[in-house]
Amino acid sequence: MGKRKSLIKIKPKKYKTGDIVKVDFMVMHPMETGMRKDKKTGKYTPAEYITEVKFFFNDVLLTKMIIWEALSTNPLFTINYKVTGPGKLKVVFKDNKGEVTEKSKKIKPKG
Amino acid sequence: MQRRSFLKGFGAAVAVSAVVPSVVLAEGNKPTSPNAMSYETAVAAITGGKAVTVSSKIALKAPEIAENGAVVPVKVTVESPMTQKDYVKAIHILAKKNFNARCANVFLTPANGKAVFGTRIKLGGTQDVVALVELSDGSFISASQNVKVTIGGCG
Repeated sequence: MGKRKSLIKIKPKKYKTGDIVKVDFMVMHPMETGMRKDKKTGKYTPAEYITEVKFFFNDVLLTKMIIWEALSTNPLFTINYKVTGPGKLKVVFKDNKGEVTEKSKKIKPKG
Repeated sequence: MQRRSFLKGFGAAVAVSAVVPSVVLAEGNKPTSPNAMSYETAVAAITGGKAVTVSSKIALKAPEIAENGAVVPVKVTVESPMTQKDYVKAIHILAKKNFNARCANVFLTPANGKAVFGTRIKLGGTQDVVALVELSDGSFISASQNVKVTIGGCG
């Protein structure tokens, strides 16, 4: 298994300290429930899904999510976050097989 | 007599296995999810038996008709000042008829500034999507919306 792709987007692109911005983050993940049959082989594909997502700012935990199989393939999460100053956003995705994907983004408020 | 009944039985067995082999096999080894949980149990586990009131403070945005059950966008916005004293502790998204009713449990902090959570979920069929919100004082409020699904997403 290669490294999974993930991304973080902040909207709007220009923001100041004190602004509330929208943060979208996404990870490329199959999110298999384990209940779906492979049409070619006729066997059930084993379950593989994200179980936990943690959202950090400067290594302080802001939001924790417990995720179940019911999320779509390549899950997208949207939350809001108040800009308190420059720093680093970090998102950590963890799946049921113990695979961990990390993604971070620098925060540079203008003004 | 013995031979006749044996042939009868054998013939029947062959017929059954020829007609519905895939169905028999599928029933034989259909996996059960370790996370399977009904809606009622999930709510009880989250609230711990506390009363849940339906509130207009929650704006649950979901399509009324979803053509594809595999991707149903859901967005929950809760009116809250998000200060240290009064904030939204958690947003739980539940789908009533999925084999595991729980979709996502999101634990927010005042640093979020605004209680918003959006994601995309899979729905096995037409059902209610419920947003269960825990406030910082320990009370629970909820909102729900019926989503019609034309093609199920949980295969």
